[in-house]
Amino acid sequence: MMSRNLLAAAAAVVALSSPAFAQANLSTQGYGFPTGQFSTRTWGTGGSLAELDPLSPINPASVALHPTRLVNFQIEPEFRTVSSANGTERTTTARYPNVFGALPIGGNMVVAFGASTLLDRTSTTVFNTTQFLNAKDSVPMSTRYRIDGAMADVRLALGYNAKSWLRLGVGAHAITGHNLVAITQSFNDSSFTSFEQSLVLGFSGAAASAGVQLVGKSFSAGLSARAGGDLKVSVEDTTLARAKVPTRFGASLAYTGIANSAIAIRTSKDNWSSLGDLGTNGLKGVDSWDSSIGADIAGPKMGSRILFLRGGFRTRTLPFQANGHDVTENSVTGGFGTTFANGRVLTDFATIYARRSADNVPANEHAWTLSIGIAVRP
Amino acid sequence: MILSTAELRPKAQSAEGRSNKHPGENVLRKKFLMLALGLASVFSIAACTEKLESGTACPLLCPQQAAELKDTTIDAIVYDTTISGLPPIGAERYLMLASHGDTLETRAIVRFDTLPQTFTGGASTDSIIAKLDTAMLVVPIVKPDSAHRPKTAITIEAYNVDSIPADSGASTLPTDTVASVLATFFRPNRLLGSKTFAPESLLDTLRIPLQPDSVLDRVVGGKRLRVGFRLIAPAGQGYDLRIGTTSTSTPVTLRMIASKDTAAKPVLVTPLSSTPKDQSFLAGPLADYSIVLKGSSAGTNQLIAVGGVPSRRSLLRFNLPSRIVDSTTIVRASLLLTQTPNRRVAIKDSIFVFPTAVLAQSGTAITDVRTLLEFVGFAGQFGLDSLKMAPGDSGVRSFEIVSLVRTWRGTTAAVSPREVALRTTTEGQTPGQVDFFSIEAAPGLRPRLRLTYVPQTSFGLP
Repeated sequence: MMSRNLLAAAAAVVALSSPAFAQANLSTQGYGFPTGQFSTRTWGTGGSLAELDPLSPINPASVALHPTRLVNFQIEPEFRTVSSANGTERTTTARYPNVFGALPIGGNMVVAFGASTLLDRTSTTVFNTTQFLNAKDSVPMSTRYRIDGAMADVRLALGYNAKSWLRLGVGAHAITGHNLVAITQSFNDSSFTSFEQSLVLGFSGAAASAGVQLVGKSFSAGLSARAGGDLKVSVEDTTLARAKVPTRFGASLAYTGIANSAIAIRTSKDNWSSLGDLGTNGLKGVDSWDSSIGADIAGPKMGSRILFLRGGFRTRTLPFQANGHDVTENSVTGGFGTTFANGRVLTDFATIYARRSADNVPANEHAWTLSIGIAVRP
Repeated sequence: MILSTAELRPKAQSAEGRSNKHPGENVLRKKFLMLALGLASVFSIAACTEKLESGTACPLLCPQQAAELKDTTIDAIVYDTTISGLPPIGAERYLMLASHGDTLETRAIVRFDTLPQTFTGGASTDSIIAKLDTAMLVVPIVKPDSAHRPKTAITIEAYNVDSIPADSGASTLPTDTVASVLATFFRPNRLLGSKTFAPESLLDTLRIPLQPDSVLDRVVGGKRLRVGFRLIAPAGQGYDLRIGTTSTSTPVTLRMIASKDTAAKPVLVTPLSSTPKDQSFLAGPLADYSIVLKGSSAGTNQLIAVGGVPSRRSLLRFNLPSRIVDSTTIVRASLLLTQTPNRRVAIKDSIFVFPTAVLAQSGTAITDVRTLLEFVGFAGQFGLDSLKMAPGDSGVRSFEIVSLVRTWRGTTAAVSPREVALRTTTEGQTPGQVDFFSIEAAPGLRPRLRLTYVPQTSFGLP
């Protein structure tokens, strides 16, 4: 009887426990890397203009800044290097983190609809292990985890120019997206057959946001907050876990006393710990601060157009721990932007150099990210 | 102000546009080129090939990643049996002509039930065959390698084994494949021809001359010519040959030359069986076949066997727990059989034994095991590999059948029979027989199934 109970308990432990999945880098742990939901312009300033920039889907009040209809698209390839005691390896990840359109609807109101990446989990991990089948028998095994996809934030926002110095905005968010997870395990021993398992994790959740912008003669300020609703992850019709969409609040303050220029600081707090229930027992989300300082300065003229030059610095804690420790990211950014086609096309470029590390984890990571944004007035 | 995105407002006319009113086309072209260059840069960078594979930092940054394998060995075989005489007579790929003293004696029968009565002469005209200059049997064989050549010369005799003429004794058409009846025709007054072959002369083809008068009698009389081959090995030495068949498109051929004119073409006759009459499906395979005169081995319920004389196939039926077959991913399935030595004949000559799927549905549709074992796959089907072993060997043999067991997932036994057949690649062609202990044997010797599988896990969640 006792041995049967023990067997049942062991079986239950085996059934309930699942491997804690992580990728072989610091930045895509847990549900992935938070791209920040910044426009390329904001990236160039380190993120300091996020609450004020109408091209960044952060503060719904900034939507009111769009004077005309507009479509915005962004790409951001990341070139990452991870160094550990086992060596160094490089990866390249293509991201398309931000796309939206805006349309004035009269009455000093502008509506915007778009999607941005909340957490990008795309990665592939390959490693070799030895499985011990019993006291005498073992087999070398190669495991390949491929995860494609991201958690996305689809926002419908309404901005309102209440006064010349006051803009208000509200937003409704649908958290969607999917992770395609595929595991392939193969063996050198020909008596074993390789196998592959795959599934698609789907996300569904909701959130709401509100924001305000105050515009003065030499200063502008933006504040916004997102209240997270329910969030669940499911496979087809089966819900695997439930949690809450992380809440966020942020504030930017910019000095605009220099013509066509802005020097700004920003801070934001994200409640990533609310995602802890969305994974296995080992998943731990970290509430983190994201702070930045930067500038967007009118530079030399190219003909009749102005070339805007940008630079900034950012520091933040990433949402998920690596090996049980918080991961810190510090980045230096730079960029430029200008218009084309008689002001119909706005093009921005930004370069981000980020370094990531975690205390007591003998590994570090650095990455170069190129951000290219194009906004077009049809 | 920069924050107002004023640069996106349409301008009435840009200063650049005003100053270049007449060279406006150049200005527009430059703007278009700049825009095109920008877009090209964007798409070029977007087209960068992703390189996502990483893993050097494991297990530090990716602990407990590998799915755990479970391994178990179970007594999953609930039924096993051996059926003798498979493949059925006439379906052999090669005819086994064997002489091993009292241990084993087989004969090969080739039927030429239709003989042409004309030949093409020197002037390309057809003439009636009135005489035969020579008659010969051209016998393709599997060339023996250096390890399987006889030590001294062997003799092959050819006999008339047709049931007609009248001195055929008790033979009647319905019994014209019965070994005991056909054995009576191998007597001196029915000898058609013979030849002795030195060991080094055993190449791809043997030529055995026949008595032209005996063959001519069959041709002129419109009769059948049925030839029985007998191998005579030196005393104390057993030997066997493999003769080509119609199944492999390398049959024994009768070659007749009806004229001394060198321009006359030889008449070539390939095997054909006309009995059973009006049943071509049954008659066809009987164009050439083997019979066993001596040495048929008997089985015991403690053993299952493959190969041998007559050739055998075995069937094993499984009862696997659904929790493993249907709810896990099986990565290894090994059928563990314990071989016991069979020292009757050819104990050192290795043969290939392979597992294969039973392709017919057992149960209500087919209850006869012999019929089931006639509907089995071929070597290598379902990725099932063979093992090489000699009849005189012993020990545990592991047949990997994971690719077959995986097909059972999610299906019932009615759709995917939980059965495996064992065969040899040379069944009916060589005398060696491999024996394994059956489920009736002592517990430690019985067939078992070892499974290695990955239990279902809720992977994907971090």
